[in-house]
Amino acid sequence: MMTPLALGVLAGAVLSGTSLLYATLGETLVERSGIVNLGLEGVLLMGASVGFTVTAVTGNPWIGLAAAALTGGLANALFGWLVVLRKANQLASGLAMMFFGFGLSALVGAPHVGAVIVGLPKWRPAWLAALPWVSASTLFNYDLLTWLALPVALLVWWVLFKTRWGLGVRAVGESPGAAYASGRNPAVLQFQALGFGGVLAGLAGAHLSLSLTLTWAEYMTAGRGFIAIALVIFSKWNPLRAVAGALLFGGAEALQLQLQARGSLISPFILDMMPYVLTLLVLLAWGGSRRLAAPAGLGRTFFGSE
Amino acid sequence: MKKSGFITLILALACFTAQADPPRLVIGAVYVGSVNDYGYNRSFHDALAQVARDLPGVKVLEAENVPESATAEGIMEGMIQQGARLIFPTSFGYAASARKVAKRHKDVAFEYAGDGDASRNFGVFFGSTQIAWYPMGVAAGRMTKTNKLGFVVGMPIGYALGNVNAFQMGARSVNKKVQTVVVVTGGWADKAKEAGAANALMDQGCDVVGMHVDSPATIIQTVEARGGMSIGFQSTEARALAPKGWITGLGFTWAPFFTKVARDVMAGKFRGEAVYQGLGGMVAIAPFGPSVSADVQRQVNEAAQKIIKGFNPFTGPIKDNRGNLVLPPGASIGSDQMGSFDWYAEGIIGKVR
Repeated sequence: MMTPLALGVLAGAVLSGTSLLYATLGETLVERSGIVNLGLEGVLLMGASVGFTVTAVTGNPWIGLAAAALTGGLANALFGWLVVLRKANQLASGLAMMFFGFGLSALVGAPHVGAVIVGLPKWRPAWLAALPWVSASTLFNYDLLTWLALPVALLVWWVLFKTRWGLGVRAVGESPGAAYASGRNPAVLQFQALGFGGVLAGLAGAHLSLSLTLTWAEYMTAGRGFIAIALVIFSKWNPLRAVAGALLFGGAEALQLQLQARGSLISPFILDMMPYVLTLLVLLAWGGSRRLAAPAGLGRTFFGSE
Repeated sequence: MKKSGFITLILALACFTAQADPPRLVIGAVYVGSVNDYGYNRSFHDALAQVARDLPGVKVLEAENVPESATAEGIMEGMIQQGARLIFPTSFGYAASARKVAKRHKDVAFEYAGDGDASRNFGVFFGSTQIAWYPMGVAAGRMTKTNKLGFVVGMPIGYALGNVNAFQMGARSVNKKVQTVVVVTGGWADKAKEAGAANALMDQGCDVVGMHVDSPATIIQTVEARGGMSIGFQSTEARALAPKGWITGLGFTWAPFFTKVARDVMAGKFRGEAVYQGLGGMVAIAPFGPSVSADVQRQVNEAAQKIIKGFNPFTGPIKDNRGNLVLPPGASIGSDQMGSFDWYAEGIIGKVR
């Protein structure tokens, strides 16, 4: 039975968008505290590699998932040590973290290349499977991370905009000096944001290796970390808009593959560029209002009150 | 083809012989990835282990995850210092380093897995997979129920197009109604896109999927989860990934050629030459899956035997998928021109560029 194009694209958008969404949410949290982590790609890779390795060794994907989350948190904590405590340049440190992630993930994953793992289990409620077209597609046949993606986005939004802690994080991101003067400790808040953001990035990597592809390969993220950084800007540092961004980019990727499978007469090279062209167009269209949305202290190092 | 800029350099000194006498021949092998990949690198490791078992007094030095940069040059120099007299640079990107080291050491034999010129101490070899995909097509053409086959291609280079073409032509030889849908991911190891491509093919009703990417693991497992069947590539071991849907696949078997080369070096009569072999030589068919009937197996093996005896499916008249005659009657494409394809054969749904 053939799946209609729209359903195929939607199903692909959700599968491919899940890891993008977790990565975007993690980076949003981090950037809201005034820190840019260009090393996100490396954190995703470490999450994917450690998650896969631990799953291959223990045979339990849940332990792998936990290890990936922990790895992401630790990686971001290391980044925090560099840029918050040691006051290193964020952009340079981020790029260094990315290359560090490439190397470490390759080292950790090398002995388990080609291992066969049992991935995260998937559930599809019976009443959803009974809908027309659904049973023959991947629609609603999701693992826990995909089912929780939307609730987690809501949670991050709620924490950032409706809690005292979130207010503190945003205050630090806008003006660490003012936040400091009002009795908050910018370093502590930034470390906390980095830690939670890292956990989300680790989960994003784990979704790639433990659910979507069931494999580990060097540099398997193929630029998704950078797309997520672009999606943070696209969503104007708002976790709920990030859901739309992740679906849109995931959908563009799914659309080019679905069109090819339907025998489209468009060049595969042009189709391959579509998601990135889309990213460029969106950034271009929203460029003018970007200054209003970005945390004012983003990328700046806070040297204390002296 | 393998993206491996970042080093996890493990110089493994694997000694396959346990005897105390000095070895009669030390072989050095340089790999771009891990020998645990159940794919390309593993195929070389297994072949050299076989050589060490077959020829007494042969010792093998192996270096894994060696980047395709000047680092490889240093590794090869190190192996020669440890007594290696035969070096296998097994990745395409080692060409420049290997040729430099070979110029400095005229007394050391090199066998490079790639293409280009051979010289006195520098041989070139590779497994020619294109025509070997023809019997894979025969298997797929017989097994499909929807008459729609899928093929995931990393990059649309000539060699990959040749694989797809032979696959479709083999399928068509047993099933006139069959079509092959091609999806290009744009990378040799973009795993998430490979999963998306496999899902897209299944969404379109393809029930047998083949592939030309670095590792077939993601595609085979995605197809298996959707209830489809697959034909593997790079590794004959990949059937473990699809207990239900595995049909068969292609893998590399280098051992006979490596054994001959090692014997030549020990006898002092090594001469570098370009050696490309297909089925029956460096390429082998993997075991069949449980759902493949004896009748289909017989037909696939017959097609393979025909090819081993010299049958070339790329013999005109051949039309491309837009109806143009690309190969006039009698003309053929030889095994040294397998990188030259820039068209899809009749019945393939896809666009080259």
